[in-house]
Amino acid sequence: MQVINYSKQIRKIMIKHLKSIIIIAMVALVSICGTTSCKSSGKLSKKEYKAKVEQAKRDLNAILNNETEWTLEEQQARVNEIKKVDFSKKNPEIMELIDRTEAKIAKEMAERDRLAEEQRLAEEQRLRELEEQNKPKTELTDYFNMIANAKDVTTANKHIKDALQLFESPDVVVLILITNYGDYDKPTTAVNYLNYIKDQKKVNVKVNDIKYNSENKITELELIKK
Amino acid sequence: MKKLVFAIAFAFFALSGYQMFAQEPELSPERKQAIDSLALEKVRDLSKYVKLIGSKNTPWSEANRVIDRAEELFAPDAEIGVSSLAKTKIEYYRVRQYLERLMRLNYDRVEIDWYKIQYVSDLQRQPDGTYVGVITIFQTFKGYDAEGRLVYQDTTKKDITVYVKRKETQIGGRLIGFWDVLLGDMRVKETTHK
Repeated sequence: MQVINYSKQIRKIMIKHLKSIIIIAMVALVSICGTTSCKSSGKLSKKEYKAKVEQAKRDLNAILNNETEWTLEEQQARVNEIKKVDFSKKNPEIMELIDRTEAKIAKEMAERDRLAEEQRLAEEQRLRELEEQNKPKTELTDYFNMIANAKDVTTANKHIKDALQLFESPDVVVLILITNYGDYDKPTTAVNYLNYIKDQKKVNVKVNDIKYNSENKITELELIKK
Repeated sequence: MKKLVFAIAFAFFALSGYQMFAQEPELSPERKQAIDSLALEKVRDLSKYVKLIGSKNTPWSEANRVIDRAEELFAPDAEIGVSSLAKTKIEYYRVRQYLERLMRLNYDRVEIDWYKIQYVSDLQRQPDGTYVGVITIFQTFKGYDAEGRLVYQDTTKKDITVYVKRKETQIGGRLIGFWDVLLGDMRVKETTHK
């Protein structure tokens, strides 16, 4: 009888404090859930940690042994991802792998940048040379006109001196085509032809063909009568 | 016997001459015109050279260089005639001698102009393949003293024989066929006061 009374008393107390019990239970539930969620975002379970270690090792070794098709940026992104997990206390081996991988990526990036810069400079040089190659054709004609129209002998001689810089030597052969059937005037030299323009004060030819040496200097000039 | 040898020799030379002639076909009108123009241009070039050499404004070194260029236009033994209103005799000089005298003429200012440069005898092909023609020019000469007074003036008509021959040369591994124009004697035809 006493037991029944005691049970009834407990039930009464429980009903009386039901609200408080529910609140306590909810707090406990939230606390438990909170701890569990911490496990997935910050603290890893042993199994998860082990998997992460293995994956990190695999990826780092793959990068080190050039067994991945990732770009250097993707490799660096992967290393950064690995670095988010603190392996320093339990896995100094991974830390060492990370250091080596980062050094390798940095070296390869520097090499890639150096090659890209070299290529850029080579392309710039190629374009410059191409431009230079095309330049003399126009410049030479300009010189012809400047020499023919010079106001005095001194000015004409200065233009001749400048124009000769375009040639491999003053004695470079100058051919003048007079027909389209392979008939030429008597061959002359660059210096004599430039002086001829000065003396005659006329340019009645146009450039038909120019040959250059490796230094982009004219080695043979063929003109054609206009 | 002598007659027979002569006849055979004659036939041989005539035949070889014919063969040589036959080997070089007639030039097309277009090519012939280009060669005519080339020869005419050489004479026009000479007119500029003569003007430069005679001019007292041309620096000495330039005049000497131009003499070299002008001399190159002529055949090696060509001569140039010089006339004067004061003399009836026409003097002939070797090209270089003529040009050097022209440079040293005893005037303070000299004006030389050539005009009416044209063929009087068209280029004709000779048996050896050389084209020969005659170009005539009119030259006005004016000499001034230190005060700028015109002290001598004349106009001379001159005939220049021109020789044009096709030659070949090797340039950069290529065989280049070119027309070598050479001027021959420059003969005085008449000299007047004008």
